[in-house]
Amino acid sequence: MALIDLVVPEIIKVPLGSTDKPGVLRELVGILRDAGRIQDYDAVLQAVQEREYKQSTGLEEGIAVPHGKTAAVSSLQLAIGIAPQGIDFNSLDGKPAKLFFLLVGSPDQSGPHVQALADVARLARSKAFCRALIGAEDVHEVVELMRDE
Amino acid sequence: MRKPIQRIMVYVDGSEPSITGVQYAICLASFSGAELIVCYIVNTTAVDELLRARIFLQDEQVEYEHDMEADAERYLNYVGDLAARKGVPVIRNKGRGSVHREIVEAVKKHDVDLLVVGELSRIRSRRDECYDEVERALRATPCSVLIVKDEDRVYEMYESLGQHGC
Repeated sequence: MALIDLVVPEIIKVPLGSTDKPGVLRELVGILRDAGRIQDYDAVLQAVQEREYKQSTGLEEGIAVPHGKTAAVSSLQLAIGIAPQGIDFNSLDGKPAKLFFLLVGSPDQSGPHVQALADVARLARSKAFCRALIGAEDVHEVVELMRDE
Repeated sequence: MRKPIQRIMVYVDGSEPSITGVQYAICLASFSGAELIVCYIVNTTAVDELLRARIFLQDEQVEYEHDMEADAERYLNYVGDLAARKGVPVIRNKGRGSVHREIVEAVKKHDVDLLVVGELSRIRSRRDECYDEVERALRATPCSVLIVKDEDRVYEMYESLGQHGC
């Protein structure tokens, strides 16, 4: 399954309301719960937090890719959040994170999980594209941008 | 005259379309008497890319590769079972690395006449055109290619296939 197949308005939030890292993780997992994509909010949040405790998934240039594996999901799940104001995420370059791709996969479906993360990594390499996403005014613009990329 | 199809290779990645491709390939192998090779590639290139992008930690790389190897075994065993139910022997080909390159290498290694794949994902972004690994393999492979569609029809055909292709 291509990353774009997961991109629908229900799993995108613009702008995020959180102002700190723990809040962003809760809000992103909450997007999946509210979209009916997950049943066990706590298990998914725990999987993502455990990975984040090892090292921040905040990369460079305002991009963060929190992710985790848990049996609480039966298929790969994506949530996208945008915080134009920037949030301290302990990123590698010390800059605030503005664009968040949350990916949660099942332990027995590592292939699609890795492929989707690799797709995100490729997207993150395009600074112009990421700037356009961060500047998106609503979820529909995010979907359009993802499809045009 | 040499039989037009002596060796069929079907690529499986665990997706539903790829399993439909497998069912079709089993039927084709049964009817034609061709050898059937099943190919699964552990995409270590993507994992390496994630490590370089610093999305993965070193221990995550090891963990995910381990999980992907387990996926490969599970799917290859599953395909073996599907074929065995119809009395079709399969040759397993498990590769590691870049998916499109390894598919092409496997085609050459086994001197494959026909590569069978499940229906491709619909192109929904320009990026898909550049990075779809199976599509890249189809373009690069030296043999003929069959893309299997219509899951329901193929399932019916597979189910109606007897133990000895009758």
